[in-house]
Amino acid sequence: MFLARIDGTVVPASKHTTLEGCRFLVAQRLEADGSTGAEPLVLIDLLGAASGSTVLVSTDGDIARERYGNTTPGHMVVVGIVDPASAGRAA
Amino acid sequence: MRLGIVRGHVTLTPAVPQLLGLTLVVLEPVTMANLRAKNGLGGGKSLVAVDALGAARGQMVAFTEGSEAANPFWPNRVPVDAYCTLIVDSITTGNSQT
Repeated sequence: MFLARIDGTVVPASKHTTLEGCRFLVAQRLEADGSTGAEPLVLIDLLGAASGSTVLVSTDGDIARERYGNTTPGHMVVVGIVDPASAGRAA
Repeated sequence: MRLGIVRGHVTLTPAVPQLLGLTLVVLEPVTMANLRAKNGLGGGKSLVAVDALGAARGQMVAFTEGSEAANPFWPNRVPVDAYCTLIVDSITTGNSQT
């Protein structure tokens, strides 16, 4: 799991059939020193994370498989939103 | 998932049976700087992914890496570690739209 900062949303033109209705966010991975990863990540959001918020991302596909079926390629799911009161210390 | 731009297609002759009939695309991952600049450039180290969505050259896709990339073929076991999960229509970051 790792922390990421939400940068915005992705509107898909088409997607895997198991992910119909999903919300996709674009985010940057956060490092311990506060720097961000060079490449943006696309996350599946179940919690309604806002742009600019810090979230906990799990790269385990189990939560996606449980929700979207065994054939889903989804991983990188937002599993929590970091409490803004603690975000300064966490990120 | 990471973002990548389709740069071309791969045809295999021969291939292991599990890969026959699959569409393979060459992807160039997109860096945050290039995504923000909207310059159509990638910047990452290219890779090959399975594409079942029919992405065209130049289109941006989000691709899954790792064991989850083989999930769409479940319960069959295929030697695939990258899979195009969605084709991007647009991305809104901050107050800009690409």
